[in-house]
Amino acid sequence: MRTRLGVDLAATFNLVGGLVKYLSLAPLAPAAVAVGYRESPAPFLLATAIGFFCGWTMERLSYGKTKVGVREGFLVVSITWLFAATIGALPYWLTTETQFASPIDSYFEGMSGFTTTGATIVTDIEELPHGLAMWRQLTQWLGGMGIIVLALAVLPRLRVGGRQLLETELPGPEIEEMTLRIRETAQRLWLLYVALTVLMVAVLSVIAWTGLDATMSFYEAVAHALTTLPTGGFSTRARSIEAFGAASQWAIAFFMVVAGVNFALMYRAFFRRQPRVFVRDEEFRLYLTLLGIGSAVLVVELWSEGVLRGEAAIRHSVVNTVSSMTTTGYASADFNEWPLLAAIVLVALMFVGGSAGSTSGSVKVVRHLLLGRILRRELDQAVHPEVVARIHLNTRPVDERIVRAVSSFVLLYVGVFAVGTLLLIIDAARVDSGLRLLDAVSAAATTLGNVGPAFGFAGPMGSFEPFSDFSKIVLIVLMWIGRLEIIPVAVLLTRSYWRV
Amino acid sequence: MKIVVIGAGQVGSTVVEALHDEHDITVVDLDEQRLSALAERYEAGVLVGNGASRRTLEEAGVRNAGLLIACTSRDEINIIAAIFSKKIAPTTKTVVRTTNEEYLEIWHERELDFDLIVSSERETALAVSGLIGVPAARQTDVFANGQVQIVEFDVDGGQRVIGVPLREAEIPADSKVASIIRGDSIVVPRGDEKIELGDRIIVIGSPEAAQAWSTIIAPAGRRVEDVVIYGAGRTGLATARVLTEQDIRVRIVEPDLERAGRAAEELPDARVFQASGMDVEFIERENINKAQAAVFAMRDDAKNHYAATLVKLHGVPYTIAIVHDAHSVEVFERVGIDRAVNPRMITAEEIVRFAHDPRTQQVAMLEGDRFEILDITVRPESKLLGTPFRDLPQTGALIGAIVRNGEAVFPHGDDVLLPGDRVIVFTESKRVPIVEQAL
Repeated sequence: MRTRLGVDLAATFNLVGGLVKYLSLAPLAPAAVAVGYRESPAPFLLATAIGFFCGWTMERLSYGKTKVGVREGFLVVSITWLFAATIGALPYWLTTETQFASPIDSYFEGMSGFTTTGATIVTDIEELPHGLAMWRQLTQWLGGMGIIVLALAVLPRLRVGGRQLLETELPGPEIEEMTLRIRETAQRLWLLYVALTVLMVAVLSVIAWTGLDATMSFYEAVAHALTTLPTGGFSTRARSIEAFGAASQWAIAFFMVVAGVNFALMYRAFFRRQPRVFVRDEEFRLYLTLLGIGSAVLVVELWSEGVLRGEAAIRHSVVNTVSSMTTTGYASADFNEWPLLAAIVLVALMFVGGSAGSTSGSVKVVRHLLLGRILRRELDQAVHPEVVARIHLNTRPVDERIVRAVSSFVLLYVGVFAVGTLLLIIDAARVDSGLRLLDAVSAAATTLGNVGPAFGFAGPMGSFEPFSDFSKIVLIVLMWIGRLEIIPVAVLLTRSYWRV
Repeated sequence: MKIVVIGAGQVGSTVVEALHDEHDITVVDLDEQRLSALAERYEAGVLVGNGASRRTLEEAGVRNAGLLIACTSRDEINIIAAIFSKKIAPTTKTVVRTTNEEYLEIWHERELDFDLIVSSERETALAVSGLIGVPAARQTDVFANGQVQIVEFDVDGGQRVIGVPLREAEIPADSKVASIIRGDSIVVPRGDEKIELGDRIIVIGSPEAAQAWSTIIAPAGRRVEDVVIYGAGRTGLATARVLTEQDIRVRIVEPDLERAGRAAEELPDARVFQASGMDVEFIERENINKAQAAVFAMRDDAKNHYAATLVKLHGVPYTIAIVHDAHSVEVFERVGIDRAVNPRMITAEEIVRFAHDPRTQQVAMLEGDRFEILDITVRPESKLLGTPFRDLPQTGALIGAIVRNGEAVFPHGDDVLLPGDRVIVFTESKRVPIVEQAL
């Protein structure tokens, strides 16, 4: 007996097909780079061809089914991101490069790219050809502001019905009602994103040309701007940004902080000339405070333990704090070798994340802020049962639905993290890979939060390559649902989603 | 003068009651029963219809009217009626009652072309906050958006000011003694006059000065910092808002969950309890009885009465009830509720006073109707312009404050009046016409 389906699969795949078709044009950019460096552009051209054909076929098979509703939105976004990772993986899989031995490795790298995680299975990054290295960086840049947000900004067919898609993909709870037309919102976000990327390329190039940092170059400037603003964390260097001088590291830290700020807030501040929005925004203030506290704790710990001193202690504390909390995932030092307290601080910061509406992953500062207020209210009401209180944010009352959504999100996040950790530990015992508890915890936290490096062999200078295939699949799923903030994927597992 | 009144509710009827003798009044309302009850009691024309309808307004005779008073309980109706009235007859003055303070702000920014906007909630809230800020006061009135306060005290203490000639006494800055009432006689407070124990004095000054006076006269009555409000209706909310703006800790008790929720939403600084507030266990557990003052702003006078008595019994020293029936004032004060405030009276009074002389924005009465306080704009041709205050004629009237560009100024001897100034004048009622003429 066939139960009736409440979701229009044909329309879903029609839209996904369209998105895949356009996304498959992305590998043409590294193809050009490859040609420029006299490398073979074949894997990229082939990836484009395969992707375009798949997308076109999906669109053809579901021809005319263009009406995507709110419910299909969750499915569209979830599936699109799986396809995006596939397109990301194709060039790796199609190259002759031996580091991407298995399809799972390629898919891991593709997913880590588009979700801006920055975890890598590559063991020797500097051996990669330029085209492939640049493709890694570019996938992060495309995934940072969101491929659907990009599609909304560029593709006319999504002019209607795009709101749900945008809300599903944009990070953070939907506290601020979007008042603008959806296309305009998407265009503004991308405009600011591109502008900041160009600015960062310029700043790093100036550092390179003025001789402030001999290790920086235009190529590195582009490569790292492409992975800083999406809080990605892929680097072209095996030693991540440890390879660069102090000036570059400070500049990168600054742009990581910027990337973790709410883009809508920055748009208002820069383009509308309302710099006071920063002062008034409670999330922004807490964001900076937490960055400050995290850095201070690390400075004290590293200095007192004698690991580092002076400017280096401050710089490495700030850079790695910012990198962990904004979920970028660069490392300016191998924090694997730091004392345990420092490691715990860095793992804890992975659960904080940047601001809502930024490119960062993880829980987001505003959810912590609201959760704190929710807990305070619960405790207050436990003592004073008659008290009626509303949660306020920036002096405005927050809708109770959002309050509930925040609580359940955090619960889901911790739950998924716990299950992920457990699976990694069980699997590690099975294959006897010598994974420590901290390594498993940090690997689950780093992938779910789209941060990048973990501890142990998957540390900042290491690779996720030693994980078993099963563990890699677990980590891929964590990256995927972490980027989509769990709910869109989780609803697909409920019966009520599929029923009429 | 012909006056059209839109709305025959409590404010409307109070206005009609006060004006029907001297003016030709037409009342418009949708409720036929209300209108016939009104027509039975007062001499006024009635018209069943929607005040926001152009045709109804025409029919009611707005074209020939001198004044339109839109005082239904719905803001939009009032505003639309006033807008249509201005279109039909630009010379007809318009008075609009509103419950939304946003309209009040817009009007103050001169973006709404009405001659007067009155918010009963706001006026009541200011009256209550005046009473709370100056607990020793017998009566208090505020002018110019709360920047100027007039307070009546019974002098039963206060060494600093008693028996000292006024010019030597340490009187709080930005304040003046407007009148000293000794028994049945009125003493004009010149510099050599002294305040004596048992006098009743009237003071004009800034709210801070009024509080300072309160502490001088009743040193035990320290500043109230903790207030409980019963009832989160519009008046309760407006009062809570005014009090929280003064950094007073406000707790609100409201039995209805939805209203309690709205209060919590609109007032992040207030604490809201969803409770009837009538059971002693709750009052003691939540320390409601430790509050320094309690305001009762529920809809039902009887409930306010009971709750106020209960809370007073359990230790709240100062209770203020907002009453809706004019007769309740006596009942409340008889049983020991400290103050009773009637919002409809306050609103209607203000509208009525406007009908009296449109130049006068606000009038308050003290000691029954023995004294009046006028808030009046100085005419450009007034002979008093440019004269230093010390040389102004001593006619038994006193200019307590000047409102210049929206800011209150407390004048000294060498200040002068400028064209466009609004002045807060204290005077005996019988001298009002003289004062109005001179200004």
